Amino acid sequence: MNAPLFRFGLFGDEFSLVVAFLIGIGFGFFLERAGFGSARKLTDQFYLKDMAVFRVMFTAIVTAMLGLFYLGWLGWVDLSLVYVSPTFLWPQVAGGLLLGVGFVVGGYCPGTSLVALATGKLDALAFVAGIFAGIFAIGEAWPAISGFAESSALGRLTLPEVLHLPAGLVVLLVVLMAVGGFWGAAALERRFAGRGAGEGS
Amino acid sequence: MSAGRPARWTRNQKLAAGAVALGLGALLIGDPGDGGRVTLDARELAALVEGEVDHVTPDELADWIVAGRQDFRLVDLRAEADYAAYHVPGAERIPITGLEDAELARNEKIVLYSQEGIHSAQAWFLLKARRYPAVYILLGGLAQWQEQVLYPVRPEAGAGAEERAAFERAAARAASFGGAARAAAAGLAPAVPALVPPPITAPGVAPTAPPPAGSPVKKKKKEGC
Amino acid sequence: MSSLSQPARRGPAPYTNPYLAGIGLGLVLLASFVVMGRGLGASGAFSSACAVAVDALAPAHAQANPFWKEYLESGVGHPLKEWLVFEVLGVLAGGFLSGLLAGRVRRTVEKGPRISTGGRFAFAFVGGALMGIGAKLGRGCTSGQALTGGALLSAGGWAFMLMVFAGGYGAAWFLRRQWQ
Repeated sequence: MNAPLFRFGLFGDEFSLVVAFLIGIGFGFFLERAGFGSARKLTDQFYLKDMAVFRVMFTAIVTAMLGLFYLGWLGWVDLSLVYVSPTFLWPQVAGGLLLGVGFVVGGYCPGTSLVALATGKLDALAFVAGIFAGIFAIGEAWPAISGFAESSALGRLTLPEVLHLPAGLVVLLVVLMAVGGFWGAAALERRFAGRGAGEGS
Repeated sequence: MSAGRPARWTRNQKLAAGAVALGLGALLIGDPGDGGRVTLDARELAALVEGEVDHVTPDELADWIVAGRQDFRLVDLRAEADYAAYHVPGAERIPITGLEDAELARNEKIVLYSQEGIHSAQAWFLLKARRYPAVYILLGGLAQWQEQVLYPVRPEAGAGAEERAAFERAAARAASFGGAARAAAAGLAPAVPALVPPPITAPGVAPTAPPPAGSPVKKKKKEGC
Repeated sequence: MSSLSQPARRGPAPYTNPYLAGIGLGLVLLASFVVMGRGLGASGAFSSACAVAVDALAPAHAQANPFWKEYLESGVGHPLKEWLVFEVLGVLAGGFLSGLLAGRVRRTVEKGPRISTGGRFAFAFVGGALMGIGAKLGRGCTSGQALTGGALLSAGGWAFMLMVFAGGYGAAWFLRRQWQ
């Protein structure tokens, strides 16, 4: 099978926009299903009361990771043609920190704010306005800070390469970490939420 | 975590077990990439050869270049010195041993050529074995390129109008590649002495400059998130 | 205005089990890899829109700034005909659809019991701004870097994801009045 399909010319740029819309529907749908249109549910993660964010995120990561690994192994997907965003280590560390703080201050992340907006949350509107303001600010400042913002460019870099471990081992470690994390998350929930963790493992 | 030891696993436990099992499978697989070994479908490859879909003629290649097509990669398999002396406009040099490491993209057309076509045929086989879907040999190699494209033969005096018209086109094309038409020598076949390829500075290919060898992705695509 | 903290007993459906929702999300992500050879994202669409706005107000300035210029030059003929922009439109549609099916579409303000609506809006705006800045430095947000980068075992993605959790937990105590 020649996949990724787009990379092998199955369809062109125009149709890829249709694909984008359809994939977006799936994305938004499952985010809302999980309850991520609610800032309170999202932030309860950081008060250890509701570990849904951790659960959903890592389940999704493990699912896609395993799927891609096996499809690549079967030769059904050419892994070298799947785009991996280049690593800019220190800007990403700083960005992640800011994002984490922004998550608790604002109550959403960009993706979930859209879902919240679509389900009527007015505070999401303020959040989205804030995103634009932030992007405008950093866009204007970019030439001035590009020294830092474009530093530590390590290119396409994966954990197996960094750790000098076979990809399969890293995959297993991620799975074990996720499963262990889910078990621990349930324990944390019981302690801090004081309710039976019906969603725990 | 379920207290005690229930006889049946909960759904979550089954999911977790399934994920761990797949993870262990991944550990055993190690590297999802191929690692150099190949599996072949001999019948499929034989069918491609017989179906003559494995090559392009110098005529076709020349037309592609003149038309400014950018959707293929042209690979010269010869030695560095030969490449430096002359190469088809737009070709990049990759020795046969370097093909694996060159990491050519699988979603591109790859046209291979060598002097006579033998090395390119062998390289074709290697790339097809690595599941490259669109690989082509330049039929007859550089030798045929010289004869057909660079130095087309003037038709006999009694040739028909169509043949003469085709020749005129070929001669004009040859000129754009830095070659020239040549007369057939008297006798059985046109003499083929050591045809000297034109100097490398010559190829001014109409209408645009030769496609730059190198990056397969010609237009910059923003793929951020 | 109302503060909606828990779903009402009759009306909105309970949320889907997070593991199942996660599998669904993971399959969507996998589909994106297989069909497009790329993952998901969100912040990039905001950037494209912002670039178009800046260009509309001050074209010369926008062209001179490499950050805006890059967004203005991408897309299929127009910067807003960008993959992420269409994906984001889909997210809005999909989120609405799911909310509709579950009876969770309602004009409301999400906030904790100890803060006012005005306060909530202010925090939401500031939080969004921090997110906008963080997402550009991080080359993505939770969708693009943490989720997609995480699945692809990208070093930068994992570093980013770790820091998001660190930042969130670090800031949580200071902001408990907004939520708890």
